[in-house]
Amino acid sequence: MARNETDPEAVHASVRLLIAEKLRFLAPMTVIFMVGYIGLTALAGFARDLVGIKVVGSVNLGFVLIAFNYLLSWALAISYGRIAATRFDPLATKVITEISDQGHLR
Amino acid sequence: MNLTLGIFIIILLITLAITYWAAKHTRTTADFYAADSQLTAAQNGFALAGDWCSAAAFLGFTGLTALYGMDGALYALGPLVAFCTVLFLIAEPMRNTGKYTLGDIIQSRMQTPTSLLATIAGTVVVNFAYLMPQMAGAGVLVRLLTGISYDWAVIFVGVSMIVYVAFGGMLATTWVQIVKAVLMLGAGASILVMILSTIHFNPLTLFADAEHKYTARYLLPGNYLKNPFDQISLGLGYTLGLAGLPHVMTRFYTVPDAKTARRSVVWVMFLAGSFFAGTTIFGLAAADLVGQDAVRAADKGGNLTLPLLAQYLGGGKGTLGGDFMLGFVAAVAVATILAVVSALTLSTSGAIAHDFYVNWVKRGQVDSRREVLLARLTAVVIGVLAIALGILAQGVNVAVLVILAICVAASANFPVLVLSLFWRRFNTGGVVGGMTVGLLSSVVLAMIGPATRGADALWPLVNPTIVSLPLGFLGAVLGTLIAGRDLKNEQRFDAFLLQVHTGIASK
Repeated sequence: MARNETDPEAVHASVRLLIAEKLRFLAPMTVIFMVGYIGLTALAGFARDLVGIKVVGSVNLGFVLIAFNYLLSWALAISYGRIAATRFDPLATKVITEISDQGHLR
Repeated sequence: MNLTLGIFIIILLITLAITYWAAKHTRTTADFYAADSQLTAAQNGFALAGDWCSAAAFLGFTGLTALYGMDGALYALGPLVAFCTVLFLIAEPMRNTGKYTLGDIIQSRMQTPTSLLATIAGTVVVNFAYLMPQMAGAGVLVRLLTGISYDWAVIFVGVSMIVYVAFGGMLATTWVQIVKAVLMLGAGASILVMILSTIHFNPLTLFADAEHKYTARYLLPGNYLKNPFDQISLGLGYTLGLAGLPHVMTRFYTVPDAKTARRSVVWVMFLAGSFFAGTTIFGLAAADLVGQDAVRAADKGGNLTLPLLAQYLGGGKGTLGGDFMLGFVAAVAVATILAVVSALTLSTSGAIAHDFYVNWVKRGQVDSRREVLLARLTAVVIGVLAIALGILAQGVNVAVLVILAICVAASANFPVLVLSLFWRRFNTGGVVGGMTVGLLSSVVLAMIGPATRGADALWPLVNPTIVSLPLGFLGAVLGTLIAGRDLKNEQRFDAFLLQVHTGIASK
């Protein structure tokens, strides 16, 4: 493979594009699960009365938030899988073709 | 109890047959450390579930919920959320960049022997801190369940683990984990169905009964972790520590590419996550049906809650169904420990044989055949050491080591890993700084905290992650700045990023 003959700058620019796209989605998603879960532990530590408010029968807000965090984690996992397949993978494939194309061109 | 032994011997025979098969397919280093990267997403997802659910998860979470209510449920949630971090930031870069170990990634980024050495220290400390309590737990559990002595129980578990790893490498370890995960999920599902049929498929009854029996306080947080900062610290330790646990992260090397690594995380999140959610229901059901007094009478820490609940649901003590369920759950608990200690032994042998001997001492100049032999021998030595430590740990409070393992993973390994993957200026000085500060602050704070010193604690938190993690990052940043700019390393970063995000090595 004529790897050394590729134009590294063009390839690196495409990689940076991929990273920017990843950050655009992953930064908010990371904030969501960290706030959701660490926020819940903070509430459990500092706001016991609030967490103890009954919601359904004997089930209090804390348990509802715990259940919500399970659903949130699963929803984020599935969304990540979709986003990665539709947005990140094509950009990564583009980088890979750039490298092989340039290798053939020169 | 003989029934437990019988079921366990069947599980053992299955795993030994797997090891015999795996040994015939384990020839190269890639086979030994990474099962030749040929696993599917589902296989790796099950294996991850088997790897990540230690006895603490299988038995501990149910016990904590039964005795302390919501704190147990919060404890069980963390290990699922932790996989969000792994999925978003770690799994795919790990697959794209490394070969067999955590050290590989740092080595390929920094290309300095010193950074490799620092990473080896992080791996070995975390793995042994994790391994020792598992061995001690195995000793107690096997003794309780089968009646053989603690020492023999530890030796028995240690020898089985050595056989799996030394002969069958990653392939055997993986299938032991898969078998264990299937058994664990099967046990969980049958217990869940039995509980639901007892309470007429209305989970609200569980909460109402618990409140009626133990007052509303039981359903509030703070019964187990009294200090509010400990709640947050535990959460941080889980969410960021998992990504720094070498024995779990090396599982991503067993799949062919980043896409499969990604899909395997989604698998484990549903498999293990469902089990964790289940433990909350099991715990509440145990408090209602078995009762806290009976749970405490069997084991102060509540670690026998799940077997007792299974016995109750099967028909109670002395009935065939009750004895079978107890024996089944107990045997799965032992299988759980076996799967986890095998992964720890394999990962430690990677750090010693591959990272330290081959890449640090010999600078990579060892032929593959010799490396496999070396890896097998290292696994035997580590196994023997683990047995010795397990026997020495009898009667010692090893709880602090569990906290330490996850805390060091979060405070030393995680900052170094993340900054290596994402920060251009990060350098060898940063790796050393992050490892040293993260490791030392975790160890010192854990040693002067309530987990070791009880009432004489010089520091209020059981879990120091909330302080040691920022310190680890600070150490990494300061180390980077003090060491000065490593321009060659910064220029290489573009090529490194290309590999991290596409898997293409451009050298």
